[in-house]
Amino acid sequence: MRIVIVGGGIAAVYLANNLKKQNSHLEITVLSDEKYPPYDRIHLCRLVDGSESIDGIALQLDPMVKLELNQKINKIDKESKRVFSDSAMFHYDKLIIATGSLPISLFNIDEISNVAVFRSADDCELIKNSVDGREVVIVGSGPIGLELLETLNEMENVSNITLLLRGKHLYNKHLSIDSIKTIENCYTNGGKIRISYEDEIVDKVIQDGEITLLKTKKLNIENPFLIFGTGIKPNIEDFRETFECNKGILTNLYMQSDDENIYAVGECAEVKKFDFVAGHVKECTTQADCAISHILQRELKEFELEISIDMLKVGEFDLVEVNSPKFTDEYEKILITSKKEGRIDEYFVNEDKLTRFIGINSNVDVGYIETLINSGEKVDINYLYENRLIGERGRLICSCEHTYHQDLVDIVTQTGIASFGELSNFSEAGRVCGRCKVMVQDVIRDSQHLIDPNMPRKTPEDIKREKEIAEVQKRLDKFNTLNPRNELTSENLESAMESLDIAKSEVNSWISMVTANMQLHPNFEQVIEGAICNLNKVPIVWLELSDCSGNSEAFIKSANPAIEDLIFDYISLDYHELLMSASGDQSESILEDIIENQKGEYILIVEGAVPMAMDGKYLRIGSKGETGIELLQKCAKDAALVLAVGSCALDGGIVAAEPNPTGAVGVSEALKRDDIINLPGCPTNPTNIVGTLLSYVMFEELPALDKFNRPLWAYEGRVHDNCERRGHYELGEFVQEWGDDGAKKGFCLFEMGCKGPYANVNCPTMKFNQGTSWPVQAGHGCMACTEKGFVDKFANERKYEEDESNEN
Amino acid sequence: MKTKKIVIDPITRIEGHLRAEVEVDENGVVQDAFVSGQLFRGIEIILKNRDPRDAGLLAGRICGVCTNSHFRAAVTSVEDAYSLKLPKNAEIIRDLMAMALFIQDHVVHFYHLHALDFVDVVSALSADAKLTSKEAHKYHERPFRNSHTHYEATLEKLGNFVKAGKLGPFSNGYWGHSYYKLTPEQNLIMISHYLEALKFQTNISKAVAIFGGKTPHPQSIVVGGITSVADMLNPQRLNDYLFIIKEAKDFIDRAYLPDAKLLAIAYRDEIKAGVGRANGNFLSVGGYEFDDRKLFCDGVIHNHDFENIEDFDDSKITEEIDRAWYKDEPLENAIDYTDLNEDGSLKTAKNDDKYSWIKAPRYDGKVMETGPLARVIISYKRKNSLINSFVDEFLEDTDLELIDLSTTVGRNAARAIETGYICEYIFKLVSNLIQNIKYYDTDTWVKFDFEKLEKEAKGRAFLEVPRGTLSHFVKIKDAKIENFSVIAPTTWNATPKNFDGVRGAYEEALVGLKIQDTSKPLEVLRVLHSFDPCLACAVHVINSHGKELSNYKIKTIL
Repeated sequence: MRIVIVGGGIAAVYLANNLKKQNSHLEITVLSDEKYPPYDRIHLCRLVDGSESIDGIALQLDPMVKLELNQKINKIDKESKRVFSDSAMFHYDKLIIATGSLPISLFNIDEISNVAVFRSADDCELIKNSVDGREVVIVGSGPIGLELLETLNEMENVSNITLLLRGKHLYNKHLSIDSIKTIENCYTNGGKIRISYEDEIVDKVIQDGEITLLKTKKLNIENPFLIFGTGIKPNIEDFRETFECNKGILTNLYMQSDDENIYAVGECAEVKKFDFVAGHVKECTTQADCAISHILQRELKEFELEISIDMLKVGEFDLVEVNSPKFTDEYEKILITSKKEGRIDEYFVNEDKLTRFIGINSNVDVGYIETLINSGEKVDINYLYENRLIGERGRLICSCEHTYHQDLVDIVTQTGIASFGELSNFSEAGRVCGRCKVMVQDVIRDSQHLIDPNMPRKTPEDIKREKEIAEVQKRLDKFNTLNPRNELTSENLESAMESLDIAKSEVNSWISMVTANMQLHPNFEQVIEGAICNLNKVPIVWLELSDCSGNSEAFIKSANPAIEDLIFDYISLDYHELLMSASGDQSESILEDIIENQKGEYILIVEGAVPMAMDGKYLRIGSKGETGIELLQKCAKDAALVLAVGSCALDGGIVAAEPNPTGAVGVSEALKRDDIINLPGCPTNPTNIVGTLLSYVMFEELPALDKFNRPLWAYEGRVHDNCERRGHYELGEFVQEWGDDGAKKGFCLFEMGCKGPYANVNCPTMKFNQGTSWPVQAGHGCMACTEKGFVDKFANERKYEEDESNEN
Repeated sequence: MKTKKIVIDPITRIEGHLRAEVEVDENGVVQDAFVSGQLFRGIEIILKNRDPRDAGLLAGRICGVCTNSHFRAAVTSVEDAYSLKLPKNAEIIRDLMAMALFIQDHVVHFYHLHALDFVDVVSALSADAKLTSKEAHKYHERPFRNSHTHYEATLEKLGNFVKAGKLGPFSNGYWGHSYYKLTPEQNLIMISHYLEALKFQTNISKAVAIFGGKTPHPQSIVVGGITSVADMLNPQRLNDYLFIIKEAKDFIDRAYLPDAKLLAIAYRDEIKAGVGRANGNFLSVGGYEFDDRKLFCDGVIHNHDFENIEDFDDSKITEEIDRAWYKDEPLENAIDYTDLNEDGSLKTAKNDDKYSWIKAPRYDGKVMETGPLARVIISYKRKNSLINSFVDEFLEDTDLELIDLSTTVGRNAARAIETGYICEYIFKLVSNLIQNIKYYDTDTWVKFDFEKLEKEAKGRAFLEVPRGTLSHFVKIKDAKIENFSVIAPTTWNATPKNFDGVRGAYEEALVGLKIQDTSKPLEVLRVLHSFDPCLACAVHVINSHGKELSNYKIKTIL
């Protein structure tokens, strides 16, 4: 597919890179009307003061994307799917317009040499070269205008700057007077800058293509250099006839224009549903993601209005703004200010709900504000006051990644990185919209002295794992708060173990085993220990249906010495007919209580098949003579999770073997549900049961499953591949009859009908009865009891192929 | 007389799905009882038309508790059909697995499935740790884990459960019931051992797994022998086995037997009143040979007449289905189910109402009780010199007579005596194995060519297994299983009535029992649990020739 992107800004580059990343076969061309390769406009100020060259602020474009410079597209032929510039023509299958915006000037500036807008590298070049010895006049005080003001203020060859404002405010008309004064003071303290409010240009004198005198309502300025920072408009003048437009090119929620093959993304587009035109990089990239999802038809993503976060750091003050799409002019404002610290927090509240926040030198946790706005909860003023000073992590640096000052310092001290480039291994901070890149660089530079040269440094994997563990820990904490019924903590876990005389080392070895088997990093061990504590809070109902109790028997012989005590300390086994002291009415009332009062909280473990013939009456349980299927349905209905343990629960197992006299089926089929987790085996290794329970408690979700809903961590490996006798198989050394020389030497049992090649489970590594043995070690071979229909297919001592040919 | 029917379902702390219905008079005394197996699976229907060599792997799945027993019995019945004589090693290895299972099974039964009928967990909380330690010395000079710090820790642990409101398996028990007789200190000893026994049963299971590959459901028995030859020839594996048994013996001698004595002394009145006594018909087929003797003797006793023991004669076994949910037709049509009454109770009003999935085996037309009690009495009375000292010592220490063992508490005593006895002699079996290997006999399988074996044959196996006498019968035609039949210990003990109305062991043991609070029928549970019910084992369809099991007799086994 040929994709053509018109535009040379961040939207175009983001689109090109991410399309390529998701489908490397795409043929992508970016057409920019500039003479420079794409660069990051966010950092234009650095070109003005000469601290960076154009290369220094370049955006990285995927080398496989074709880039055409100096191509101003002025015609689109929808019919033939072609676009034209003055000098070339390009074919497309999908076209994306990402031309961004144009700055607004108050009069035509084409022929005048000492007037500039502030949008491109050329503009910067002009400003840089022309301000010397002139009085600079900036019109407008939006974020970019203020940043430029700061840059010029720092430049030695600029001595006088006038900021010309039509209104009475700086930055934003909703700011309080206090805030405006604070900002104003920061600028005017140096004496270079004067601010003229409620003022505008009324006349000008132009000589030889140069303004010599600028007349405003209040001032006369000679020999000025005038910069317009008055705003922007979508850059779509050449396409107004081609598309349905309003302010920008109108699109649907996938950023698709009225032509199905043409999309518009970024500041040139207008999402019809919301009358929305992007103003932030974050919004542009979100739109790009929506368009990409639609073009590639993968996990379609619709554009939604989101909260925006703006940050501005100028000289002595920094400003942060969190703005909800629900913000309107109708607000009440809560102000918390501290004159001493120059700190002002402005909360905009509408009907008790927070819609916007602007903070000057604020300490408030921006992430919290965002959550508060999102949640739509009522604002508690006391809470706002109490939390005005929090923020142990320091100032928010990267609003896209929610990275705070202290986070970056931690990364630097832990990993010893020295540059922005190295940071990419650990964090995306500064790389999403790029706005805070400089701040990030500064933090990295300023915290270099904190690096302890003797400290071992963390790798990106370490950091990633720490993040994962933190996530799991969060989940466990949440679990704790949600399940306050039980109070077993890691502390009384220890005392419980002592009272049972369980050596800590035994618990540890069990934890290590589970960790290893679940293919988690050893760093998880501590979390697993915590999860074991929490497991105790989950009520477990263990139903035995058409079974032989083999799985229950196996379960009480849990893997490591002493850990069978799990059933008293770590697992809340509230209903298990094999073990429970209560019988009859007393046991039934326990079950009723759990089903009624702990809906959605208990885990149901089912052992055995479900006989369906004769209306299920081959199995009846309880004083009312409920059938097995009735009882199962009743218990499964509100269970948080249903585990089908053992081969009978998988598909009926032995009970459903030919001719299946009782019409037995597995749990999943009986309940007609596909979300039952199967842990087959005859019996199932208890470690696999406990491991699965732990993983549920830790991750809330289940581990990855195979097509039979078996957890991959336990059922992925093929027995044959991990078999201790595999070496003999490769050498062609086989047992030929029971008890022969080969049998004494431990040769491969394939010729004796071992079904290891057809079985997927961790028996070879896990073994049974505390690692004592497993069927292959005992010289018999595997009978693939974890596989569907194993009794009819595999439960014999003949090679499987023979068996098939016999049947045929 | 007006009677009231009490339904107890599910009976927990057993294997499988058992229901008990007892009719009590106005004084709460049981007048009649009906016990019913509530699950039918039809394993013998499934076994039909299969290769006889597969019988073991499938029949083993009859039960995950007596797992090894059915595996071995099915294979043995096929070997019997083909007259295959096992190598000595294979027989011993099978015995070693069986003996370890006996020990594990009895301990789990006593502590985890039965003890809570005698032991009040909540009462244990008020025990004094020091007095507890002293109390334990009454039953053994070196009691198992008897420091008072250990008891204090156990108390703290129990306290934690209760404080957290989390009793787990102890929830909603019959705590405080006046039928509980132990002192807080005695309760604490038992609870402490309950927890220790959890560890114990895990460890002893390793002994089965050493030669079985795993347990439950070991996988090393094949027609003609065993497969774990490499384990047998590995001295370290034998050593591991011995050490596990040695440790087990320590627990049996210092905890299990003393606890059985404790119960026998504390519940003396109940024993002397004959609570839980059944008909007094006992059956054992004996077995487990070593040094030309048998560990258990065979024999049949009628009506507690210990002095006249008949020899066991398998031709006297019959199966009836008058009141079981079967009819005398080919397997496919053999089911004859009658639904429950509207109130959820069984239809038992009429003399021909069918009410259980358990069929009714009879010996010489009589119901029989089988199990450790039967084995101990028969072996003792047959003057099996090996067991006698164990029985004598127990009776002496508890001041009881042999007849007293035929009660609820006595059944447990017999089980404990048997366990101690097995622990003593299991070492003999191992040393026989070692002797045999030493003389270069490493055979574990008798060679045969399946294609050349008879296409039609009949075989059977009689085995003593933890819960009693187990028999498997197989009939082979065209080298496929034509018919398979099983009578398990619980089939004997939990049998339904026949037209004659004679009650089986479970039902008879319940009659006359006084139930104090019919909403909390702890008394019923205690009686039933003393038999160690195993319902998955018990339920077997009768086959079309089921009444004539003697058909299965074949030419003399070599």
